[in-house]
Amino acid sequence: MDFLSFFENDFKIIIPELYLFGSILLLLSYGAIFSTSQVLKFPIIQINVGWLSFFTLTITFFLLLQNPLSSMVVLNNLLIIDPFTTFMKAFVLLSSIFCILMSMNYLEFKKVNTFEYFILLLLATLGMLCLISSYDLMSLYMSIELMSLSFYILAAYKRNSEFSGEAGLKYFILGAFSSGLLLFGSSMIYGFTGLTNFEDLAKVLTGINGIASSTSYSGILIGIIFVAVALLFKIAAAPFHMWSPDVYEGAPTPVTAFFSTVPKIAIFALFLRIFFYTFYDFIFFWQQIFIFCAILSMVIGSLGALYQKRLKRFMAYSGITNVGYMLIGLASGTIDSMLGLLIYLIIYIVMTIGFFSFILGTRNQNSNLNTYISDLTNLGKVNPALAFSVTLIMFSMVGLPPLAGFFGKLYLFLAAIQSELYSVAIIGVMSSVVAAFYYIRIIKVMFFGTSNVYISYIKMDRLNSIILSTCVFFLIFFFAYPHPFLMSSHKISLLLCL
Amino acid sequence: MFEYSSILLLLIALPLIGIIFLLFIPNTESNLQKSVGLSVSLLTFFISILLWLKFDMSTSKYQFVEKFFSVPYSNMHIYIGVDGISLFFVLLTTFLIPICLLASWDSVKIHIREYSIAFLFMESALICVFTVLDLLFFYIFFEAILIPMFLVIGVWGSRERKIRAAYQFFVYTLVGSVLMLLGILWIYFQVGSTDIQVLTTVEFSLNAQLILWLAFFASLAVKIPMVPAHIWLPEAHSEAPTAGSVILAGVLLKMGGYGFLRFSIPMFPDASIYFTPLVYTMSVIAVIYTSLTTLRQVDMKRIIAYSSVAHMGFVTIGMFTLNIQGIEGSMLLMLSHGIVSSALFLCVGVVYDRHKTRIIKYYSGLTVKMPIFSIIFLFFIMANIGFPGTSSFVSEFLVLIGAFKSNIFVTVLAATGVIWGAGYSVWLYNRVAFGNIRTTHIEAFQDVNRREFMIFLPCIILVLLMGIYPEIFLNVMHVSITNLIEQTQ
Repeated sequence: MDFLSFFENDFKIIIPELYLFGSILLLLSYGAIFSTSQVLKFPIIQINVGWLSFFTLTITFFLLLQNPLSSMVVLNNLLIIDPFTTFMKAFVLLSSIFCILMSMNYLEFKKVNTFEYFILLLLATLGMLCLISSYDLMSLYMSIELMSLSFYILAAYKRNSEFSGEAGLKYFILGAFSSGLLLFGSSMIYGFTGLTNFEDLAKVLTGINGIASSTSYSGILIGIIFVAVALLFKIAAAPFHMWSPDVYEGAPTPVTAFFSTVPKIAIFALFLRIFFYTFYDFIFFWQQIFIFCAILSMVIGSLGALYQKRLKRFMAYSGITNVGYMLIGLASGTIDSMLGLLIYLIIYIVMTIGFFSFILGTRNQNSNLNTYISDLTNLGKVNPALAFSVTLIMFSMVGLPPLAGFFGKLYLFLAAIQSELYSVAIIGVMSSVVAAFYYIRIIKVMFFGTSNVYISYIKMDRLNSIILSTCVFFLIFFFAYPHPFLMSSHKISLLLCL
Repeated sequence: MFEYSSILLLLIALPLIGIIFLLFIPNTESNLQKSVGLSVSLLTFFISILLWLKFDMSTSKYQFVEKFFSVPYSNMHIYIGVDGISLFFVLLTTFLIPICLLASWDSVKIHIREYSIAFLFMESALICVFTVLDLLFFYIFFEAILIPMFLVIGVWGSRERKIRAAYQFFVYTLVGSVLMLLGILWIYFQVGSTDIQVLTTVEFSLNAQLILWLAFFASLAVKIPMVPAHIWLPEAHSEAPTAGSVILAGVLLKMGGYGFLRFSIPMFPDASIYFTPLVYTMSVIAVIYTSLTTLRQVDMKRIIAYSSVAHMGFVTIGMFTLNIQGIEGSMLLMLSHGIVSSALFLCVGVVYDRHKTRIIKYYSGLTVKMPIFSIIFLFFIMANIGFPGTSSFVSEFLVLIGAFKSNIFVTVLAATGVIWGAGYSVWLYNRVAFGNIRTTHIEAFQDVNRREFMIFLPCIILVLLMGIYPEIFLNVMHVSITNLIEQTQ
């Protein structure tokens, strides 16, 4: 009977996920049938499947936005759909669309001829969509597993490279370990409260600060800590960041682009849901965890990147630093801090996507991507417009006004000061200065670098250049018209916190 | 007739329109590129003179106030306006930029269009810094100048050490500035607004004032620069192209002084009085130490760079005397130093353009073959010393009078700075211009040509005008500075 009632409203609301799931199955069978068809002489349908998956995600995006019902808890309280989830899902879908477009050129050049790449990307996206909507510890775990399993395979995608296999293996082991921690934490929470639904937990744990005896909820606290640690593993926050430089380095570059941008959106959405809604009353405990992780991430990230010579490892450490900044927003625990977190997340994703599209677009004459930072020398003379765009992205990552990165940091540090986390703010700005040093080094290498060999580049392909220019345009003109992002972030912050 | 109230927006928009023009000119027409850049900056200068003519000197209120824009969904409306303190900084900026562009006419050979774009962008950002009436946006434009300056030093700089100089410039300034950012954020959190006109009415507790003053000081001390944090200046000056040095010494250093006058002193008066001994000590050390350091330098630009630090030491002494002679003296000294130092850098640039070296050892007896240049150089060296009749004399004298009222010991030590200044300046001139002409390294000499003469002429006229009849300039500042001092009492 319960199942029949789902047909009334529930399935209408989760149409985006259902559509995505159906089209994944359809694309999988389409790919499998046609790529093994002897009649057509085993065509390579990879780019074909790529564009089909692009269209799939676009239609999913429009289905998401055209949802007739706005706010509902569906499927036996397993998933929730409300404006917050709609916003984050839209963001995830847009970033995934950009990542798919970025990878087309790479796959063509590297002759990676298996179409499953896009299927896996779509599966990961589906996992992330479900993750953002999850409203129960069970659906949380299932969605994280769906997302992570797709990632493990994607990290090891280049079959003839041991580097890639090693990356996949490392990611798998650490990811499975953190999922185990997540399960342990969830089971502790379930054991001590008997509930797994976030809303029920929020109701049970209301006002728990007022209860005098502190022993009654230590079990739940252990559960929360384990869940937090597991999620921190997934976003590569220090001290759980060890896997990210190696995995980012070994995975194929578009997969790295996907890793460093999209899961962070999903898991931060999850963080916001869990810690700002469910466990908000325990704030004095988890605030300390996040402060510690934020400080450590910022320090380790900025100091670690100083010695890097390879581009992708450098981006991994820069990702750790940025996660540190976002954890400040999470630690502050106010509505303004959530606003700052969302704004910074948007700007960070745009910057990273822009930078990765630059990396994927510049191939030297042997059709190889640049591995080392010193490969970028003379770019200022060869292609000054490209070098200038990357300069703007780098200055935005430093946080120089009037580019967008400054505004992200502004809101975050404002939130930190409002919550009186002065030491965190000071450490944050200091690590920002240390970070400036190595971001400027990339600019220096491009414009003022000297090399003995003249490095020339193949012309950048159209998709990557469109993505790069869109991102740079956003970064430059965010200053002039931030209204839609500020408005929507503010609205959903109020929605979640109140 | 013509509505004068939107002059400031026009001033800010004109260089940006010039940038858009420049983007469409192809690289084959390099003369046209240079001409467009120069014409736009000259037009901006002439319009800014209108600003001075229409300025009402009897009030300390902000004039030509215009709404810059409003941040939506928050009660922040950003206004721009000038008062007695900022008027001359705007004029100095618009005066120096055409001179910079004219000075680099022949010496910049690569990426000419981007060079002009960088300078026009800097002009727009500088006018914004000096006119915007909001603390956060002051900070934004303060930092925004780092980007084009970094590129100018790095791309068009002269030697291999330019990268290190650009780095030092960037990182030093950034460290101080982020501390100021935290201070600004705390102020915003406490007061709820960052509008200057609101903030000057707020009284902070003494402890809050002390910490905030220190946060602001971290940034402004690097910018001015004061002694422990001054190391970036000689590097940046000696590696930057001539015009880069001109704008750096002429205007960028004054942003620090402006920051003190506009923010630190009015908003944190108790802390300013509390920290006055610290500022005096650092300034006196700056004056004496840097003047003595110049005696060992071999690079002409470095000598002038260190002398800039010494003059800015005088400026900070003047500012923290907190009486009208001192502050007017420091403001006039900032203006005068802006012109004199820039002109000295231009002189060095003249020689550098011809012989590609700035090391004193290679030059001697230039008077024989470059007489007009030697006269101009002598004039500005005398101005640098503080020779009566030039603007430096008037301003240093006023500063010393103001300091005398406040603390006699500091005045004595600072006055010895005048002696040191005379020492190194005259020695520099002696070595370069007088003596026997040295032809072992240089064979052909060429005197200043018409373009170079034209960049020196307005500077000479201004320095003489400020020295003989400074009242024209001081008139404007009286009321605003009196108002400033009232706030600190």
